[in-house]
Amino acid sequence: MIGLGGAKPVIEVDGVVKRYRDVTAVDEVSLRVGPGEIYALLGLNGAGKTTLIRMLLGMIAPTRGSVRVLGAAVSAGDRSAWARVGSLVEAPAAYPELTVRENLELVRRLRRLPSGAADVIDQLALTPYADRRARTLSLGNLQRLALAKALIHRPDLLILDEPVNGLDPAGVVEIRTLLAGLAQQHGTTVLLASHLLAEIARLATRIGILHHGRLRAEHRADELDRQRHRHLSLATRDDTAASHVLRAHGYDPHLDGTGLRLADERALSLPEQVATVLVHGGVPPTRLVTVEEDLESYFLRIVGADHA
Amino acid sequence: MREALWSELLKIRRSRLPWLTLLAFTVVAAVCGLFMFILADPARARALGLLGDKAQLSGADPGWPGYLALLAQAVGVGGLILYGITAIWLFGREFSDRTATDLLALPTSRTAIVTAKFALAACWALLLAVWVCVLGLIIGVALGLPGWTTPAIAYGLGRIVITGALSSLLTTPLALAASLGRGYLPAVGVMFVIVFSAQVIAALGFGAYFPWSVPALYAGLAGPGQDRPGPVGFALVLATAAAGALATTTWWRVADHTR
Repeated sequence: MIGLGGAKPVIEVDGVVKRYRDVTAVDEVSLRVGPGEIYALLGLNGAGKTTLIRMLLGMIAPTRGSVRVLGAAVSAGDRSAWARVGSLVEAPAAYPELTVRENLELVRRLRRLPSGAADVIDQLALTPYADRRARTLSLGNLQRLALAKALIHRPDLLILDEPVNGLDPAGVVEIRTLLAGLAQQHGTTVLLASHLLAEIARLATRIGILHHGRLRAEHRADELDRQRHRHLSLATRDDTAASHVLRAHGYDPHLDGTGLRLADERALSLPEQVATVLVHGGVPPTRLVTVEEDLESYFLRIVGADHA
Repeated sequence: MREALWSELLKIRRSRLPWLTLLAFTVVAAVCGLFMFILADPARARALGLLGDKAQLSGADPGWPGYLALLAQAVGVGGLILYGITAIWLFGREFSDRTATDLLALPTSRTAIVTAKFALAACWALLLAVWVCVLGLIIGVALGLPGWTTPAIAYGLGRIVITGALSSLLTTPLALAASLGRGYLPAVGVMFVIVFSAQVIAALGFGAYFPWSVPALYAGLAGPGQDRPGPVGFALVLATAAAGALATTTWWRVADHTR
C-alpha cells in the first residue's frame, strides 16, 4: 500500500476476501484512498473490481476483512456514510417509464435533499432530455443520467464503475474534466474501476491493478512512466556484425525479428553514443528509436504471469 | 418511510400495471354480471346453449347474494394472480430494470423501501376489491337483480373485501420469490405452482389448511354446505404473510446483492 502522508483515509480496505463456494472473487485486498484522490482500479473483466466496489457500498458482505468508508464501518445495516457517497455500479440503469427529471427527483427524495435536480441536469448536459422518458435515451445519455444520480447530492466520495462506458469521445473528455474538477476544486474523493487504461492514466492520481481478485500493484499515476519498460530498437545492414561491435563496447544487444534491441540503461540514456559506436564499427544504423512500453503492454506484463 | 412511499407511488403511477389490473378486475365483474344476466332469464340461457350451461355450472343463484358471492370467489382466485402480479412487478422490476443497486446505498433504509412496496401492494389490492364492489353494485342495479336486503348486501360486499385482503396478504412470498429470483420469471412460475396447488388441495378437501386455498374457500368456492376455513386457516394466512414479508425484508437487508 502507498502511504497517504498522514491524511485520514476516506476508504480503508483491510485484508478483504470474498468467496463464493470454491471461487475467490476478491483475495486479501488492502488499500487506502485519501481525501481528494482519484484512485483507479484497473483490471480485466472478472478481476474482482465490481465485487470490491459492491463491498465498499455494503451491497456484498466480505467473507473476511473489513471495509470502512468515510470513517464508518460498512455493513448492510449501517447507512451513516451513504448520505455522503455517490455511486454508479456496473451498467447505467434508470426507470424506463420515468423521465430524466423524474428519475432524478426520485433519487432526490430518497436522499432527502431539499433542492431540486436542475443543477445536476445542467451540469451533466441533460437539459434537452430532461422531460424524455429514460427508455428513449441513448447509452451515452443513460450514462450521463447515472452520473447525475451519483452527483445530485454533491457527495464527498464518488464510487464509479466504468464511468465513461458508452460515452462518445467528447463525452469522455467532459466527464474526465468534471471528475478532475470535483477532486481538485471540491476535494471530492473518487474511486473508479475501469479497463480503459489510457483513460485511467489521464485521470487518476493513483492506480491499483487488480487481477484474479488480488491487488497486484499500486502506483502513483506520475510514477507510471517509470514502471513502464523502455528499449532501444535499431537496425543496420548487418545486424550480426553490429551485435559483435556493440558487445565489444560493453552493451548487451539481442536480436529480435526486426533488428537489435538494447534495454540497458547506458544505451537508453545516451542513444547517440550507440550510434557513434556503430558508425565507427563500420555498421552505421539505418534505424535507431527509443520504444516505450505502452499501457496495455505494461498492464499485461503485470498480470501476465497468471494470465498466460 | 415517506420518501420511500413517494418514490414507489411515482413508479406505480407511471406504469401500466394499475390500468391493467383495473381492467382485469373490471372484466371479472362484467363476466360475473353476464352470468347473472343469463341466469336471471332461463329462456335466454337456453337460447345461448353452451354459455348458458357454463353459467349454470357456476352454481350461483340469480340474485344479489349469489352475484356478490360469485364476485368474492372471482376475487379469491383471480386475486391470487392479479395481486401476485402486482407484488412480483413491484419487486421483480428492480432487478429486470437493474435499478435495485440504486436502492441499496441510500440514507433511506432498505427496510423502508421494502415496506413501502408492501404497503402500496396492499393499498392497491384493497382499492381493487372496493372497485369490484362498486362495479358489482352498478351492474347488479343495472340488471335489476332480486334479493336486495341491506344485511345481504353488507355481508356480500364485506366478503369481497375480506377475500381481497386475504388474497393480498398471501402475495408476500411472491415478493420474496421475485427478489430471490432477481426478476419476474421465477416468481411467476412460483405463482402458477401456488395457484394450481391451491385448486388441487382444495379439491382434495384439505384447503382449509393450505393458506392459498383459504381466500377462495372463505368466498364460498366449494359451494354451499362445505366447511369454511376455521381459525387455523386464517392463522396460516397471517403466518404466511408475515413470514413472506419478514423474509423479503431480511433478504433485502442482508443478502449479497451481486446484480
